[in-house]
Amino acid sequence: MRPLGKFWLAILVLLPAVALLVLPPFGQRMAILVGVYALMGVGYQLVFGQLGALNLAQGALFGVGAYAVALTAPALGLLSVPLAIVASALIAVIVAGPMLRLQSHYFALATLALASLIHLVAVHAESITGGANGVAGFAASLPRGPVLLAIVWICLIVAILVQARLFAGPMGEPARLLREAPLVAATGGIDGGRWRLAAFVTGSALAGLAGAFSAMVSGVVSPEATGFPIMVLCLTSVVLGGARHPMGAVLGAMIAVCLPELLRDLQGAWLLAYAAATLLVVLWAPEGLAALIDRWRGVQLVPQASPVFPMNLEAVDGPQRLILDRVSKCFGGVAALQGVSFMLDRGEVVGLIGANGSGKTTLLNVIGGLEQADGGTITLDERHIDHLPPHAIARAGVGRSFQSLALAGDTRTSDIARAIATGASFLLLDEPAAGATDHERADLAGLIARLRAAGRGVLIVDHDIELLSRTCDRLICLDRGAVIAIGRPAEVRADPAVRASFLGVEQAAA
Amino acid sequence: MAYALVALGFVLALNAAGAVNFAHGDLVVLGGAAAVVAGLWTGLPGPVLLPLVALALGVAGIVAARVAILPLASRPPEATFVATIALAAMIEQGLTVTMGAAPRTAPPLLGAGAVEIGGVALGRQPVAIVIVGAMLVAAMWLLLERTQVGRRMRAVSADRHMAQAVGIPVARYVVLSLALAGALAGIAGFLLGHQFLVAPTQGAGHMLKAYIAVAIGGWGSVPGALLGALGIGLFETFVSAAVGDAWASAALYLVVLAVLALRPQGLFGEPVGRRA
Repeated sequence: MRPLGKFWLAILVLLPAVALLVLPPFGQRMAILVGVYALMGVGYQLVFGQLGALNLAQGALFGVGAYAVALTAPALGLLSVPLAIVASALIAVIVAGPMLRLQSHYFALATLALASLIHLVAVHAESITGGANGVAGFAASLPRGPVLLAIVWICLIVAILVQARLFAGPMGEPARLLREAPLVAATGGIDGGRWRLAAFVTGSALAGLAGAFSAMVSGVVSPEATGFPIMVLCLTSVVLGGARHPMGAVLGAMIAVCLPELLRDLQGAWLLAYAAATLLVVLWAPEGLAALIDRWRGVQLVPQASPVFPMNLEAVDGPQRLILDRVSKCFGGVAALQGVSFMLDRGEVVGLIGANGSGKTTLLNVIGGLEQADGGTITLDERHIDHLPPHAIARAGVGRSFQSLALAGDTRTSDIARAIATGASFLLLDEPAAGATDHERADLAGLIARLRAAGRGVLIVDHDIELLSRTCDRLICLDRGAVIAIGRPAEVRADPAVRASFLGVEQAAA
Repeated sequence: MAYALVALGFVLALNAAGAVNFAHGDLVVLGGAAAVVAGLWTGLPGPVLLPLVALALGVAGIVAARVAILPLASRPPEATFVATIALAAMIEQGLTVTMGAAPRTAPPLLGAGAVEIGGVALGRQPVAIVIVGAMLVAAMWLLLERTQVGRRMRAVSADRHMAQAVGIPVARYVVLSLALAGALAGIAGFLLGHQFLVAPTQGAGHMLKAYIAVAIGGWGSVPGALLGALGIGLFETFVSAAVGDAWASAALYLVVLAVLALRPQGLFGEPVGRRA
């Protein structure tokens, strides 16, 4: 997410100010509605925009907030608003726990089932919710008109500023990794479950707050407040405005509130136009209208500095030795790893060689926790790490770079730099030299030497046997998942079994 | 059985697109609406209308594929979700504008009245639904398992890149799958439309049922989706007979949440990618 520039900040403050000073009550009511939908949308951006999870319960949780105010305002007055926030957030916490592990399509279904359940309660629990007639006559003690307008927009501006500050800064990169490359995020020590929980609960709290305000504007709450059309409105307005632009939710909400007024003669057709516009934006401007406006204004994203390997590496604390003991792994009937045992010390560089399909990448995946070993143990000093999730293994001190990344604007250099920056004691590098130029190979060799000097332990998989021989203290050769040789590079290269399995093939080909 | 047709079309589109088609429920409604309109205009008997509606919705499926699914093939599945949600909203609003929000009745397939089978009186429409449904399911099974076209469709759903690499025109098969899915949705809409009326807002409900059937039966599994759909049908019938509609729906949603929490791979496992 880009930071909020002066242009947008001015719009954000001027809109409610103009509405307060100039507009008639009807216009002020529209301004309040824009603020309400934008607030719901900002919460939605957290889950959908930042983490890419399709949450379909935001509309229903908005309705929960509205009902919470409608039912408790006569007794509690303004205190019913924080209660609305808590009610929505609490439902999110209770339901979210088991859902956060789910893949996107199941997460969407689970939130849809939750939303349907809430809607069902709103319609059928007549003794509490008043059924289809809804609840009315609760708003007498609550602020309305200009005061409500000011409150809503102050909440909205605070939410937008906080979110823009966080995601343009420290939380932006982890969120991008979680969204676009969950494996890289996990091996970088980012706990996706906790992030999603935090985002989902915060987003739901904002939905509850928005729902509370909407109840205060209209003075009536009916089951429609929990219905799927509200959800669709929220989703489409965020997509239309820009799911990851700080102003996306506001722009989307403005269109959603103003369009029906402009197209009043066309009756229901405005929703048709709105949905069609959303489809067009998804197809041709996936970053949304706010980003489109930024482009017309000539705002450039700050170009990312081209990544370089770090020159000064500091010593890091952490475990001293990585130990594999008889690690095995089967895929179906194929034994990918058979009783692999070795040790890696700090300050040691070990190369892993073997023909294609000999289990090199599988071994890295098993150490990093992306695959579970079927047998054997992996320990850091005394600590077993073989049943930990990837992010916990990363935090215990094992970093990882990947063979090829599908991450936009990312290079292998930045991937390796990122792994090093986690401060891991041990680094697993998967084919760092594949496709590299001679110059890049020299850089890489220098980096490996610095890693050794800084007391990091390094395990490298690569096909460049010359590079490995120059840079590694030891080589390990895998053949069909088993270690067939381990020792100094010269010894391993001279080993007849190695020559037969790997080098022989390559020399014959050369 | 009509749920099974809805779910069958849904899972076909799902496998082809690699993402949920949120517009599927609205294609079902569109099928019902097409049946209503065609019935009013032409007055043709049900068995003649049925293929016409299927054909029309097949075309609608192709449009959906061209507009909202193929252009987004290289983007994350969430993009397709959003695009098809927008498409669903467009169909729903389009229908509301053109035919109004009031429910309509689609023409019957075989005429009203009852037939007597083995001494038990059965409504003609339910019997017709079961027969047509069973025939279509059998036909789909034959197509998917016994023909080259079906094998290729399964190859596309199992691994799109690999299918492309071995020379299957992936886009054409995605469009074909969506056309079939649309035709099935149209027939389901026709059959449901006589018994349960047709209203523009029903789409989300149909979609949710199909989604649940597929999730419970195992993501991407065709027999799983059918079992899931039949299971939902039986569950709703018996539970709502015992405690009423609202409680039956509530119980269904709670079961879904419980299944997702306890067995995220579905009740019968997730066969995608593991089919030989």
